Amino acid sequence: MSAGLLTSSAVPPRADELPRLLAGAATGPVGLAAHHERFGMLGLVDDPIELAAAAGLLGRGGGAFPLARKLAAVQSAASRRGSAAVVVANAAEGEPASIKDRVLLSQAPHLVLDGLRVAAAATGATTAYLFVRSDTVLVRAAAQALTERSARRLDPVPVTLVQVAPRFIAGEESAVVHRLAGGDAIPTYTPDLVSERGVGGRPTLVSNVETLAHLALAARFGATWFRAVGTATAPGSMLVTVHRDGSPAGVREVAIGTRLSSLLPVTDSEAVLIGGYHGAWVSRSAAAQLRLDDDELAAVGASRGAGVLAVLPPDRCGVVETARLLRYLALESAGQCGPCLNGLPRIAVAMADLASGRARPDVLGNLRRWAGLVVGRGACHHPDGSVRLLASALTAFGPEVEQHLAGRCSRPGGRPFLPTPGVSDLGALR
Amino acid sequence: MSSSVLWYLSRSTGMVLLVLLSFTAVLGILIHSRARVQWLPSFAVTGLHRNASLLAVVLLVIHVATAVLDPFVSISWLSVVVPFTSHYEPVWMGLGALSLDIMLAVVVTSLLRERIGHRTWRAVHVLNYAMYPLAVVHGIGAASDLQSGVLLLISVVCVAAVAGAAGWRLVDALRHVPPRRRVVVQLAAAEAVGTRR
Repeated sequence: MSAGLLTSSAVPPRADELPRLLAGAATGPVGLAAHHERFGMLGLVDDPIELAAAAGLLGRGGGAFPLARKLAAVQSAASRRGSAAVVVANAAEGEPASIKDRVLLSQAPHLVLDGLRVAAAATGATTAYLFVRSDTVLVRAAAQALTERSARRLDPVPVTLVQVAPRFIAGEESAVVHRLAGGDAIPTYTPDLVSERGVGGRPTLVSNVETLAHLALAARFGATWFRAVGTATAPGSMLVTVHRDGSPAGVREVAIGTRLSSLLPVTDSEAVLIGGYHGAWVSRSAAAQLRLDDDELAAVGASRGAGVLAVLPPDRCGVVETARLLRYLALESAGQCGPCLNGLPRIAVAMADLASGRARPDVLGNLRRWAGLVVGRGACHHPDGSVRLLASALTAFGPEVEQHLAGRCSRPGGRPFLPTPGVSDLGALR
Repeated sequence: MSSSVLWYLSRSTGMVLLVLLSFTAVLGILIHSRARVQWLPSFAVTGLHRNASLLAVVLLVIHVATAVLDPFVSISWLSVVVPFTSHYEPVWMGLGALSLDIMLAVVVTSLLRERIGHRTWRAVHVLNYAMYPLAVVHGIGAASDLQSGVLLLISVVCVAAVAGAAGWRLVDALRHVPPRRRVVVQLAAAEAVGTRR
């Protein structure tokens, strides 16, 4: 126990054993005592930035940005400008198809908060926020964990809990900063990087809660332990939200690089949605060969994103499903930038017309033209991501698109598959 | 009272009404605008709007009564409120009757505003956007002396002021549509155009 104050008191779990983050946590929130019993006390970390670099920890919120570089940017901006940094653990989880941040934070809140503590130490932050989707169960678990920790004076930097209404773009970095400054959770045009000028003009680190939880494990058990699973370029495990027909969405912790076919019943589906609503549909034949590896995914135009994996049920039409997703994405625009405000509704309507089998023959040309017009021109990547989904659908569901152009649908009448809050089924579109 | 006095009284009150209604309209539009007039507090705008409207109602009574009583043209009391029943200039008088009916409704609902609630009051009050052009066309159509010279110039200035204020108000309203609402509007617009066969 004497060494435990500096490093860790628990025997490290086997490095190749999964789950890591959600170990034994399936039954509800893990209290502080149980948390320490399982993982040991979090000790002082010599150089957290060096640790994150050695572990090769990439962001798990969707961008897969190296955490070490983010930490270093905030830390150096803070010391250069003489301004104390702000750290934010981000559990806005606006992606409707993702529930992994909710599951993680409600089951293992102390792992996340340990990670936030390491991030605060790494950047010299004096302010810390836990930015949480306003979900009763989640907020209660987070608040309870914070109470436990403040009673034990565990965090040198006190953590403030901030709630945010569920919305697709609420977790975008500048939207988080905007909300913490008292505004709406929508992206801002600010040309400054959040790492330079974020909350109150101070250098700010906004990091996904899963990333921070991984950091907490690496801080305890070291970079070598961390790298025991995963790929060389993307080490560690990741949480995925799996959607398949007939069962509710479930969260699994898998090693990065895992073969998709070992996680999903790929063979009986036309295509798999990888990443999320800003992700890509990948055809069955491509998905069957694929591993959750960044290079392999990039080769088919996909990315790990926020870890959403959805197998389109065999009786559902991908064109109809994508039309509904695009309508949702159009409605989720903040309405600030022209390309998004004007482009996404047109794209959504054209896709709905295609889905209904009543589109004019030039609809594909229009869709491609409009898609080209919106890319790279928004304050955030909402238009880019939405268009990526569209392009992938037109490719992955190529034969079905042809059917629809001829006024037919080979799988009519299927119920909506993926969640699109605020959007009624396609029948109500027109 | 000689006939020509009534005739001129009716015509001159009509002219003053045009100016007064334009003034009232501009003030009314200003009340509901985001950008307040710098030198005029909003309660003053509201007060002026009300008093100018009441003055306009008084002038309207004189305008109508003198026109009906004037034996030179035959306008019945009925055709004052029932549009297009006048033997004299049925179209122009009809438009005048329409605008008078709207104004009556607006005055009555404004006096009863506390009782009928804001929504109803407002629903009737927006009819003023129809009342004003009806009254203007009634005036210019019926009064040949408004069709040239200084009186035409005054009319043009009045209409331009109201149109300018209304246009500015419209642009202001469109600019301040909440972003979320803007998206829904765009989606509806895209659906109206559509890409269907």
